[in-house]
Amino acid sequence: MKTMMNHLVKTLVLLTLFTSSVIAAEKHVATLRGEVNIDTQTTPSAIANTVNKDIKQGRNYPMQPPVIPHKIRNYEVNLNSNKCMSCHSRNRTEESQAPMVSVTHYMDRDGNFLAEISPRRYFCNQCHAPQKDVEPLVENTFVDMHTLMKSKVNTKNEH
Amino acid sequence: MTENILHIDKNSTNKQQPCEYHVASFVAHAIKKNITQVTEEITCTEGAEIHAVSEEGKIVFTLEASSQKKIGFLIDQLKHHVGLLSLSPIYHQFLTEE
Amino acid sequence: MTINRREFIKANAVAAAAAVAGVSIPANATNLITSSDVTKLKWDKAPCRFCGTGCSVNVGVMDGKVVATHGDIKSPVNKGLNCIKGYFLSKIMYGKDRLTTPLLRMKNGKFDKEGDFTPITWDAAFDIMAEKTKQTLKEKGPTGIGMFGSGQWTVFEGYAASKLMKAGFRSNNIDPNARHCMASAVGGFMRTFGIDEPMGCYDDIEATDAMVLWGSNMAEMHPILWTRITDRRLSAPHVKVAVLSTFAHRSSDLADNSMIFTPQTDLAILNFIAHYIIKTNRVNKDFVNKHTNFRLGNTDIGYGLRPEHHLEKKAKNNGKTAGGSSPINFEQYAEFVSTYTAEYTSKLSGVPVDNLNALAELYADPKTKVCSFWTMGFNQHTRGVWANNLVYNIHLLTGKISTPGNSPFSLTGQPSACGTAREVGTFSHRLPADMVVNNKKHRDLSEKLWKIPTGTIPPKPGYHAVLQNRKLKDGELNFYWSMCNNNMQAAANLNEEAYPGYRNPKNFVVVSDPYPTVTAQAADLILPTAMWVEKEGVYGNAERRTQAWYQMVEAPEGAKSDLWQLVEFSKRFRIEEVWPKELLDKNPTYKGKSMYEVLYKNGQVNKFSINQVPTDRLNDEARHFGFYIQKGLFEEYASFGRGKAHDLADYDRYHEERGLRWPVVDGKETLRRFKEGSDPYVEAGRDFQFYGKKDGKAIIFALPYEPPAESPDAEFDMWLSTGRVLEHWHSGSMTQRVPELYKAVPDALVYMHPDDAKNRGMRRGDLVKIVSRRGEVQTRIETRGRNKPPKGLVYMPWFDASRLVNKVTLDATDPLSKQTDFKKCAVKVVKV
Repeated sequence: MKTMMNHLVKTLVLLTLFTSSVIAAEKHVATLRGEVNIDTQTTPSAIANTVNKDIKQGRNYPMQPPVIPHKIRNYEVNLNSNKCMSCHSRNRTEESQAPMVSVTHYMDRDGNFLAEISPRRYFCNQCHAPQKDVEPLVENTFVDMHTLMKSKVNTKNEH
Repeated sequence: MTENILHIDKNSTNKQQPCEYHVASFVAHAIKKNITQVTEEITCTEGAEIHAVSEEGKIVFTLEASSQKKIGFLIDQLKHHVGLLSLSPIYHQFLTEE
Repeated sequence: MTINRREFIKANAVAAAAAVAGVSIPANATNLITSSDVTKLKWDKAPCRFCGTGCSVNVGVMDGKVVATHGDIKSPVNKGLNCIKGYFLSKIMYGKDRLTTPLLRMKNGKFDKEGDFTPITWDAAFDIMAEKTKQTLKEKGPTGIGMFGSGQWTVFEGYAASKLMKAGFRSNNIDPNARHCMASAVGGFMRTFGIDEPMGCYDDIEATDAMVLWGSNMAEMHPILWTRITDRRLSAPHVKVAVLSTFAHRSSDLADNSMIFTPQTDLAILNFIAHYIIKTNRVNKDFVNKHTNFRLGNTDIGYGLRPEHHLEKKAKNNGKTAGGSSPINFEQYAEFVSTYTAEYTSKLSGVPVDNLNALAELYADPKTKVCSFWTMGFNQHTRGVWANNLVYNIHLLTGKISTPGNSPFSLTGQPSACGTAREVGTFSHRLPADMVVNNKKHRDLSEKLWKIPTGTIPPKPGYHAVLQNRKLKDGELNFYWSMCNNNMQAAANLNEEAYPGYRNPKNFVVVSDPYPTVTAQAADLILPTAMWVEKEGVYGNAERRTQAWYQMVEAPEGAKSDLWQLVEFSKRFRIEEVWPKELLDKNPTYKGKSMYEVLYKNGQVNKFSINQVPTDRLNDEARHFGFYIQKGLFEEYASFGRGKAHDLADYDRYHEERGLRWPVVDGKETLRRFKEGSDPYVEAGRDFQFYGKKDGKAIIFALPYEPPAESPDAEFDMWLSTGRVLEHWHSGSMTQRVPELYKAVPDALVYMHPDDAKNRGMRRGDLVKIVSRRGEVQTRIETRGRNKPPKGLVYMPWFDASRLVNKVTLDATDPLSKQTDFKKCAVKVVKV
């Protein structure tokens, strides 16, 4: 609860700043610190929980690696074992019902397909990360191509 | 392109909704001397279109159909071709059309 | 509409398959959709905006917006892969709080140091900047003016900035943030080889038998090189990986031999390996006799603190003699390193004897090809240059250098630390192509190539990064422009130096940035800045690979590139206002010209017509100034290095290639330098030639272990190491604005051994403060996860703007390289 409150407060502070910063004069600019002097500090919020709902999150574009929708605490991925592949490898997905890693993960540096996952893709965390249950500090205005296309088509249709 | 994978599952009980548009892309790697044969075979497949063929025999093609099952069926017809080194599904997406 | 959407997803499917196959698709298909402009997607290549690995990415643009990015299959560096940061490049430009107007601190309509940030026009911004510059020149002369730049500047930006400062304002007080990152590596190269940058290249990874990471966590900091190392290790079972660090981390997960050593004792371990090679009679005598000299370096060189610090008063060689050395022979060197027995080194470092011997054997065994990798562990070190010298020693003793698979490789932190900071020479003591300001011949040549009068460039090195903050605090540096970096969050000892420096009423501080950073918060004037593919650029990566990209999208209205800012600002000065009367009287042809005309519209930089910019390309700077300014700056800059072992190809070629490794001679890149047959600069019959030194011989240095500036004691009982994290780029000003990356690692936690926490009555998640002699920072304790410190050491990353760990760190530097040691200081951790 405390976490949520903190984030709510953080978000509110930022929202207020964004709406006003360009128009009116500000003692501070709205940094990722919120409205806090450099020589002071707000009390750090508690360590956030990892989102563990196993619900796939949409992707911004086809080539984006998906984020991990579950906890990975104590998953060993090292020289001797790879815990992720015990569910996500091709021959385990029937049992686990987890998504299979993409075929790209079976290709070596030169684009040849291998029987097993490519060693260059071995450390899953290089590209995939679980998400903490937090609200972004700053909104991101990235627009994905489908939305962009749709809005253009709609505008066209209106004419 | 990590998860948009076509699962070719013969026993799929997935009921396909009507009015769906499915597209899947594949990379076929043909034995060099069989490139012509393989490309012909692909061209003859319903809903197939070849987009590029590289010198070393890699063929980029798509299949379009109204269900995932159909695509699975079509690719099954292709995959046993003797001129093929490998055939890999890359991408699959579908639209539900209003 | 359905048809369009169908075509669109079909085109996506084709693009994905083509990327996987590495096959190019005919134009009508790459444009994704054929018929309608609605769905047109344009793909183009650019190097990644983040680390020094220099991956190439394909950037997809629709409707003036970046909508997708993925790893470039054609790039030899990353072959279609990106790390998590790289995959999210598409979103870094779209944080909602992009700055779009200059902001000046004002009260009652006027600039006021204590005023509120108020939007002003670019014109008004340049007015106040010119006024403050001219006032400073009048009161203090050129040394009152300074600039802090970046290894993330494009090559042209660094070059234009260096010229503006050194030739225009005649101040050498320009330094890049690469000072915090690469200065010790440069020092090491210059001292051992007499020429900067690695001899080998990434291809050595696929050719080697053993890889040793020295204080580098490549799994997080150089993820794509790590995929190549992982690939090599797992594909070839005989290959061994050794990882040395002061705490266990993700790179340790792949290690056959993981070693945790006491901070600073890497110096002893390096000498132990040299001793082991000699003791087991595996010195490559032929190589050593033909290609090396031995020297004994001066010791007791101090810690680069302020001169009144007791450690500096005590040090014997902390002045000009710090870098001195005298010749010795092999026997004397063997005697010198014989102190570093396995037992002695094990006791000092805490690494078991067996592990040390196994490590040394990788280097000693003539049948094992070996690569060494290092970055901040060696470079951010009060003996950073020494550490670099010592690792070259063991490669030189065995002749394991400049051949496939044998490579001492200094990794780079920033995307153009090599290209912009080092090769262009944006350091306070350097000029392009490894030249230095205190060498008359180098100044003469630079002045000739810049077409400026002899005597323009001042001979005395300017203020380096750490000294700049000290001089700001002391009120001696009064006009200060910070570009493309976030030093208020980065520089050590914020409380005592940087913050009072920026806020000193005598100083006027300008900060150029796309986003409101901590540094911007401390500024007097903030300039909104264009970034990455919003401008044309060239970066140079760690393996000497120069890569170019075109502008692909427009910057948000009001934001301008660093290049535009630098060159446009130069128009505000007549040359009489910046050069003394005597210089002009001797060279009257320059009289009456603007600084812009002398530096940039000089017949060279403006040599290439605007018509050479492809008509379908954006190029805001070229169209603003009326000539192909990027090409002009690049070609003028390239004239410094051509024929001098720093050859670059013609500018246009870089737009075609996925980069080329210099020297590029007769159109061909160079994979490995100093080796006959591979490097065109090696004379026939020499086999190896370290031509940076006159006699072609590299130097093996005898240098001892010396203790760090600050070690834990009864009160401050723990080591603190700071560093980076995979999901964020440096201070997080870009990546913390990407929701997926922010949510992956939202806050900087302090990693602590569970027993240390228990002994202090603490648990995971507890609120604590880390306290040093200089300040404190609050955060939460993490006792599990990716970093596993040994007892007695804590680790906290510095990406988090709201938890500034640089309030705690010590501004001790390597006296030779002036690079700060961010890896060790003494702290205590207490509950709040």
